[in-house]
Amino acid sequence: MWGFIARKLIYNVPVYLGIILIVMLALRVQDPTLMKLGKNATPAQIESVSKSMGLDQPFVIQYFELLKNVVTFDFQEESWSHGGKSVGEMLKSSIPMSLAITVPTLGLSAIIGVCIALVAAYYRGRAVDRVLMIVAVLGMSISYLVYIIFGQFFGAFLPRQALGGENWPFEITGYGPLFLGEGATPMNWVSFYMLPVIIGLIVSLGYDTRFYRAVMVEESSRDYITTALAKGASKPKVIFVHMLKNAMIPIITRVMSTLPFLITGAVLMEIYFKIPGMGFQLINALTNLDFPVIQGFVAVLAAMFILTVIATDVLYALVDPRVRLS
Amino acid sequence: MSTRTPTPTPRLAWITTALALLTGLAAPALASPDEKVIRIPMSTAGPGDLDPVQGSTTYESRVCSTFYETLLEYEYLVRPFKLRPLVLEEMPTVEQDGKLWKFKLRDDVYFHDADCFPGGKGRKMVAADVIYSWKRMADPEYTYENWWLVDKLILGFNEYKDAQGALVDEGKAFDYDAPVEGMRIINDREFEIELTEANQQFAWKLAMFQFSIVPREAVEKYGAKFTRRPVGTGPFLVKSEKDWVVGSGLVVYRNPNYREAFYPTEHMPEDVEAGLTEAAGQQIPFVDRIEFGFYPEAQPMWLEFKGNTLDYTTIPQFALEETISRRTKKLKREWRSRNIHMDKVPLLDFIFRSFNMDDERVGGYTEDRKALRRAFNLAMDWDEMNEALYHGMALAYDGPIPPGLDGHPNNEDHRVANSTRGADYDKAREELRKAGYEIGPDGKAIDFEPIRFYTARSQESNRVVELLQRNFDVVGIKINPVYVDFPTLMDVTNRKKAPMFSFAWGSDYPDAENNLQLYYGPYESPGSNHSNYKNSEYDLMYEQLRTMAIGPERTVHIEKMRDILIEDAPFCGSLARTRVYLTHPWVKNFKPTETFFTYFKYLDVDMDHEDRGE
Repeated sequence: MWGFIARKLIYNVPVYLGIILIVMLALRVQDPTLMKLGKNATPAQIESVSKSMGLDQPFVIQYFELLKNVVTFDFQEESWSHGGKSVGEMLKSSIPMSLAITVPTLGLSAIIGVCIALVAAYYRGRAVDRVLMIVAVLGMSISYLVYIIFGQFFGAFLPRQALGGENWPFEITGYGPLFLGEGATPMNWVSFYMLPVIIGLIVSLGYDTRFYRAVMVEESSRDYITTALAKGASKPKVIFVHMLKNAMIPIITRVMSTLPFLITGAVLMEIYFKIPGMGFQLINALTNLDFPVIQGFVAVLAAMFILTVIATDVLYALVDPRVRLS
Repeated sequence: MSTRTPTPTPRLAWITTALALLTGLAAPALASPDEKVIRIPMSTAGPGDLDPVQGSTTYESRVCSTFYETLLEYEYLVRPFKLRPLVLEEMPTVEQDGKLWKFKLRDDVYFHDADCFPGGKGRKMVAADVIYSWKRMADPEYTYENWWLVDKLILGFNEYKDAQGALVDEGKAFDYDAPVEGMRIINDREFEIELTEANQQFAWKLAMFQFSIVPREAVEKYGAKFTRRPVGTGPFLVKSEKDWVVGSGLVVYRNPNYREAFYPTEHMPEDVEAGLTEAAGQQIPFVDRIEFGFYPEAQPMWLEFKGNTLDYTTIPQFALEETISRRTKKLKREWRSRNIHMDKVPLLDFIFRSFNMDDERVGGYTEDRKALRRAFNLAMDWDEMNEALYHGMALAYDGPIPPGLDGHPNNEDHRVANSTRGADYDKAREELRKAGYEIGPDGKAIDFEPIRFYTARSQESNRVVELLQRNFDVVGIKINPVYVDFPTLMDVTNRKKAPMFSFAWGSDYPDAENNLQLYYGPYESPGSNHSNYKNSEYDLMYEQLRTMAIGPERTVHIEKMRDILIEDAPFCGSLARTRVYLTHPWVKNFKPTETFFTYFKYLDVDMDHEDRGE
């Protein structure tokens, strides 16, 4: 097992080095210092900013400096758009914010999606299946933004108007702990994050359910299902025990492939709910040409993506004996 | 006066109650229910810096004005704008024909308590703090973000900056103790500043947040973190770094040691009826905490305001129709019945379409070129643009000087005698004939080659261009729109490559000089004179203007300069937007303005108002 992981890591090192190289080159096509300071910058200003970012160093040194930062997870460079805050601090503060929305959304979406898919597969071709799939397609067809705007309106604004703010658990927006001060408790997560989670869940359920149903339907036509049924196993048992176990590979693939996006967060959701997660910060950095943040965040995201791919391969092997670690 | 709480339909109430019970979870509790808290929205992801020497945006100005103080501040209620001492005992005395400024500090101004001071107790502010704070503008560590404010202004300051820059280049430390010829400390409370030449605008600059006074101990102790851990002398303070969550919000708390300072007594006659004078003479600040919420998207901000969890807001573009009657320009009845108050705040805005005076086709100073440019202006329907884009709430005017400043044409139509503001298509055709174009039987100029028109890409710019093209087409003027991002627009204009372009200018301080400098010859591109307008008579008048004392003679001088510009027509214009504020009835003492932001200390809230949401 460890050998397999080590091999995978080694194979992916050149890939990662290549990604970092491309990212660094792309970010230097135009002089980032000039992009920050504008065309009227004085030579002294340019020099000052260049020095602070190490941009006055040869490219090779900058390259290895960034790699060192990724390996040690130590990004000391100061953000250009949020003074006094290092890239490392921004990463550390924003990742949990994003995870607070995306992890529950992913977990619930996978569980509920699989359950609905199993029900749809059980009733394949019948009214229940069709209704579920129509709802899923409808869910997929509506813009994410519409869900957010409607969610804020019907999920928070309207009930708060109707019941009074103190009687309704969801806030319209907000990163609560800031404004709650010492009164903040973990339970405040519900107030500020539950509504985004529900909206995210509704959005992702459409996609997930359709995908999982397709997996289940394909699995249900396999010979071992016919055999199990012929041997007298009940249909619910065949579907919920035998079939589900064998459908785990595509399910894992889908869940794992979503993992890197957990970190990037749900950008729109974070912007509309004012949650300073990683997606929000990255978009903000792009808007403000915040070179240190863009470079640091992209390097970390690329690393996360590669680690996820490796983790997916390992999980395959654990779940499916046909996949060998050697 | 009556207040109204929206009542739910029974079914909705039933459903929402059931959901609340199902969740079984408590709504968030406020930190201290006894505190007076005001909740203020900002349509942005937030300020970038809390260090005045590194800040430049209006958002930074808003928050910094709560915990930092400047030598002067604006009179809160008085219009036109007027300055008064803030940490000074009296207004500075000006000698040597406006070159020498003498200052005396108040004796009771203390920095916030912070661990950078011995025993954590904030010390008294002294003259050396002022000089130190301003010297920071010359420090390359802060990338000279605000150097433009003092460039060539104070005697010996440029030389000091160059000398210190050279030291830093050699790897040595920036020397804050080195003297500047024009900055002289007399004693702890008195100091004087000698300018390179008389400059009336210096007083306005002294009220800008970039000139705030900071303690050296805090800068040295907190280093790069100083921008997140401000220590000033203001009525509010930041307790810790955690009070600012990037992208989400910022909380500031009442400074318990704030000196004796009172709500202003000087006011305008209409302020009495508006209830703005009731707190006159009372100790400030009134609230215990200010919560600044950052809203990069306007939709949630609007919902929060409607849900009574924000105390005031500006009306987003999409909500104008919902709130303001297009016919009467007044707040609609349903909003008035909730006792929500509307304020229209004219911005010091100069929105215009500019020509490059160095361009071969539209530039130049011959009569035919002037006529061509005037034809453009006469063909533009500024009133239609106002209706289409700003719900009729903006203000079209002649010249480069926005309303509220000396030199603005203050008549009903905001026009000057030699007005060339459109739409007047007959006059536009006349001017086109003078410019050498033949007008066809359809009233359109024959063989008018399109002119490239650069504009920053946005949803609004598409609509502007469509409207311009339709206006121009009436007389046969054609433009080729070129949509670029803003940095590219700046680049193209800096390189003098755009024949015609769309620009806007927000005055840094309420003096026409700030707008008239946009046409001062030596400031041509890449300076602020992007029209590259050069007129020796105008330049001389501008140089005189800088040293003239405020008064009727100066106003006449400004009007002459304005009329020269309208005659030469290096731009088409103009328009000033109006920001519309809505305020809930539980907010007191609020007279909105966007020219200064030191007013948060005057705001008060009625926390027991039945409609105020938590």
